[in-house]
Amino acid sequence: MYLNNNEEATLFGSNPQHADVVVIDDDDSMCEGCRQTLEAGGFRAAVARNGNDGLRLVRHTRPHVALVDLKMPGIPGLEVMAKIPQIDSSIVIVVITGHGTIDTAVESMKIGAFDFLTKPFDPERLLETVQRGIKLSEIRKTPASTAKETMAAPKQPMPQKVDKHEVLLEGLAMLMHGYEAGLERQDVLNELRYLESEAKYHAESLGQVKKREKAILDIINQLKVVDEIIEKHGFRKNALIQILLDIQARLNWLPRHTLKWLSARLGVSLAEINTIAHFYGAFSLEPRGRHTIEVCLGTACHVRGGTDLLAKISALLGLKAGETDTQQIFTLKTVHCLGCCALAPVMQIDGKPYSNPSLDQMKKLFASIQNEEELVCRN
Amino acid sequence: MGTVAMKIDGKNVTADEGKTILQAALAAGIDIPHMCYLEQLEPYGACRLCMVEVTANKRTRMVASCAYPVKEGLEVKTDSEALRKVRKLLVELLWPLAPELAEKYGITASRFSNDHTDCSMCGKCVRYCSEIKKKEVLYFKGRGIEREIAAVPELVSECVYCQECFKECNGGLILKQAGMPWA
Amino acid sequence: MSKLKSPGELEALRHEIQSKRGAKQMITVCSGTGCLACGAVELTAAFIREIEKKELAHKVEVRPTGCHGFCERGPIVVILPQKICYLRASVEDVAEIVEKTLIKGELVDRLLYEDPETGKRIRYVDDIPFYKHQQRILLAGNVLIDPTNIWDYLAVGGYAALAKALFESTPEEIIDIVKESGLRGRGGGGFPTGVKWETTRNASAKPKYAIVNADEGDPGAYMDRSLLEGNPHGIIEGLIIGAYAIGANEGFIYVRREYPLACKNTRIAIEQAREYGFLGTDILGSGFDFDISVHHGAGAFVSGESSALMNAIEGRVGEPRPKYVHTSVKGLWDKPSCLNNVETWANIPFIVTKGAGWFKRMGTPGSTGTKIFSLVGKVNNTGLVEVPMGMSIRDIIFKIGAGIPGNKKFKAVQTGGPSGGVLPEKLLDLPVDFDELTKAGSMMGSGGMIVMDEDTCMVDTARYYIDFLAHESCGKCVPCREGLRQMLKILNRITRGEGTMEDIGLLEELCSVIKVASLCGLGQSSVNPVMSVLKYFGKEVEAHVKDKRCPAGVCKNLIAFHIDPEKCKGCGLCAKNCPANAITKTADKVHVIDQDLCIKCGLCISVCPEKFRAVEKVPAFQFQNAV
Repeated sequence: MYLNNNEEATLFGSNPQHADVVVIDDDDSMCEGCRQTLEAGGFRAAVARNGNDGLRLVRHTRPHVALVDLKMPGIPGLEVMAKIPQIDSSIVIVVITGHGTIDTAVESMKIGAFDFLTKPFDPERLLETVQRGIKLSEIRKTPASTAKETMAAPKQPMPQKVDKHEVLLEGLAMLMHGYEAGLERQDVLNELRYLESEAKYHAESLGQVKKREKAILDIINQLKVVDEIIEKHGFRKNALIQILLDIQARLNWLPRHTLKWLSARLGVSLAEINTIAHFYGAFSLEPRGRHTIEVCLGTACHVRGGTDLLAKISALLGLKAGETDTQQIFTLKTVHCLGCCALAPVMQIDGKPYSNPSLDQMKKLFASIQNEEELVCRN
Repeated sequence: MGTVAMKIDGKNVTADEGKTILQAALAAGIDIPHMCYLEQLEPYGACRLCMVEVTANKRTRMVASCAYPVKEGLEVKTDSEALRKVRKLLVELLWPLAPELAEKYGITASRFSNDHTDCSMCGKCVRYCSEIKKKEVLYFKGRGIEREIAAVPELVSECVYCQECFKECNGGLILKQAGMPWA
Repeated sequence: MSKLKSPGELEALRHEIQSKRGAKQMITVCSGTGCLACGAVELTAAFIREIEKKELAHKVEVRPTGCHGFCERGPIVVILPQKICYLRASVEDVAEIVEKTLIKGELVDRLLYEDPETGKRIRYVDDIPFYKHQQRILLAGNVLIDPTNIWDYLAVGGYAALAKALFESTPEEIIDIVKESGLRGRGGGGFPTGVKWETTRNASAKPKYAIVNADEGDPGAYMDRSLLEGNPHGIIEGLIIGAYAIGANEGFIYVRREYPLACKNTRIAIEQAREYGFLGTDILGSGFDFDISVHHGAGAFVSGESSALMNAIEGRVGEPRPKYVHTSVKGLWDKPSCLNNVETWANIPFIVTKGAGWFKRMGTPGSTGTKIFSLVGKVNNTGLVEVPMGMSIRDIIFKIGAGIPGNKKFKAVQTGGPSGGVLPEKLLDLPVDFDELTKAGSMMGSGGMIVMDEDTCMVDTARYYIDFLAHESCGKCVPCREGLRQMLKILNRITRGEGTMEDIGLLEELCSVIKVASLCGLGQSSVNPVMSVLKYFGKEVEAHVKDKRCPAGVCKNLIAFHIDPEKCKGCGLCAKNCPANAITKTADKVHVIDQDLCIKCGLCISVCPEKFRAVEKVPAFQFQNAV
């Protein structure tokens, strides 16, 4: 396309009316390198060599993703960043930074950048980041109600898949898309195999024999929940712990496939997610009961008989601390101080504290919960 | 980047700014016992065997030399009664994981029941995998005394072709710890 | 509500609120977590219904407030302006309270505090011994304010300190006032707050961050919970002033997820503060920008350590960093970060409003101001108490706490959480003061004060803390992880009666090494509980080792429960209540405990009727010999 009074800005790509990605960087070789990589990966790319041209280009092409160099002559990268959302709030910004300016990059992420690339970056990293950026942009472009479906059925040609869990996730996305469109393709079938093994694992970890379709539907619904939560936290990597807390709160545990999904969506390694999930007491990697009984073992409770209380509850439910009953009604947990020290010893059921409950009181409480659960099951 | 002059065990040592005491000492041919330190990796400060006594501004304290940055005028002692006491007990706690150090300090048995020390949790494997190989297959699982090294099940196949971290393992039993099928 | 744009507008709004509200009578119902567990919600609702029914709404306001502190006697109802205090009030009492007290001006005697010595009923809050000996400054707001209503905070002078700081002082002057006040960090270490702020202010890197540590992890301490639940605006105001002083435009509140009400009230308060222009850009028209995000802790004690907490905010695992540069210079995202705990921040608005001199007049020269303690364990009046620094531990436990229940003998008090130690009776006259407590081998910590009586076993207490730390530490460094693992093994052996004298020596050696070699403060101070038990309760440890006896009758392996066949009348209460079904009736119509099934919960002792007293606790070996 033609840009007024501008000999510096250059456009490449087959369809100049639209670009998937706009690269704004004053470094020639950088621009050219990015463009080639992106086109090889199946994206339409356009480049500009300074901030003003970049903004104009963005205005004309409305890309999904803008790659912005922070250090440029003329208007600074941070300002470009600030102006892009005013043009189109669905455009996802990825920051390019030179070596040793990680701080600025981190800063820029906090003011709205989606991710950053430190020069020199490898092509795979570029493609992977852009791919994630496009998915986010799709969500932003779609009305909230249909966002999830769109996200799962990306319209962009995807570059070659790199690792196994990506394949699974793509498979899942395609499967969902396939179901909706009534398609039957070899691809869908191949990926269904991955899904099946995952579904089998999921069903086993729930201790239930579920039909394959039901298990897959379960997974899909859970992944939708994960997406909702990631979106709520603005796709920020540093919200990882908060996101996991929200998933735990919604699903009551962290199923393996949600961690995989999260890893791919957020660009955080599975190792890091696993480290966090295993480090904190709040997370459970196995299904928990629908009701959590927490016995406080803070010091005040300890000296006033917290361990005795635990022994009694243990005996009543036939569960040790950390265990869940076979019907998945109760999980018995210990917790180090609920801050109800004056009421010691304290037991908490689903967040409601009970001060030094008597045996009778507990028997009644547990029985009423069990009855309720049976009613629910029967209906 | 400038250099700083300091004294390690009475010997004058110069080191580049930004280096740690351990790096400066090793470069000057002074040995400080260490286990979790690996040249290519970020300082980790977990094994605490490299503790030294540092005197700055007339205040002496014990610090981990692998993490403490060099400073102009620093005086470092790598050996003393107190340091030997710390290292000997650490070696005993890690028993039988640090045989050379045990020999050096004349330890032939541990007074503790060491039934879990097939891994010192130095984390060299985890950090190598993440910092050098960028594979991030291994991770630290759990916390406190339940902490262990584990592999992400979905990615463990990567290890078949790599195995570069194996040579860095002190215990040699890390594979078992990581739950890898062929170990 | 549009944003307030100047201190003048703030004062005008304050006037408007105060005049609108006039002089209504008020029923305040404590709605802290403790009272909520005892039915405060139902109580509040019942009051509101009753007031409407009696058509008193124009004259009487019902207000759910933050924690009143006297948690032992909750739910607490205080009627203002008279300050009549009703304890353990229930829904059934509501009609009577409204009818008698609010309409007729009479008292409901049975709900008043009864002096245990004289039997006299005490009418007013301030005359109850629990409150009388306290000096409530930080907690004063809790009893007046509905934490979800910013108007309540404004009505009592809220955000005036912020206006004063922004318009009448330079950041340097604020730091000088805080330094001059002598305020020391309330989270544990007791580092001078002003000095910390100055370090962050002088650090050259930018941006800077101001952070509230509300990851109150010390088991047995809950003052931060109550402050954040009861008066979140006080902490937010302190944080904004601090941010202004150090030059930060972004702040974080890191709060434990185990405190859902604190999380909720904080979130609401931040939203309101934004709405009124106390947060955001150009605060009160001063040109200063600042905003706060809330992060939730996911349940790890070690995340309360400053560098670990910052890792967690960055979204990484909450492990301490092995760095020798302080977080006030290189903290969050390696930028200068000022981290203080909740109570420290809560002090700031008072210091700014009333001046350093006022603050310094409270407390001791080395430890100024007041301190909130959570007085819990084996003490009659459990709850939150705020006293000037320097008050003796004896006064806190016996004057405010009214001593030990059940005529038991005082044995020890634990202060400072897992980083602190136990103090024996001979140290009861020690003043609460950062340096004095440290000298005695304990710590101020965040202010947990757990009272132990003759039925508490000190070896078990030491074991408890080491078990806590062994599981709550991060497990990164060798001395802390492996050292605590071995200490736990040894202490478990001793409590099982399998310990040797060499074990005690090993414990001492481990303590001395863990203390110097651990990576972070948690590890370094983790040995304090054991060291203080060895120091002050050596005899009790030896009883476990040499005589295989637990003098307090706590260590399960060393005790057995036994039913005296002479005294048992076969009433069957014990058998009915035994959760392990370990008690059976014999042919002689007396009950007997199957020692193999017994889980030693002690329920049989508590249910055996007073007139029989047939169940007894005996040393395990004695019982085994008898059989």
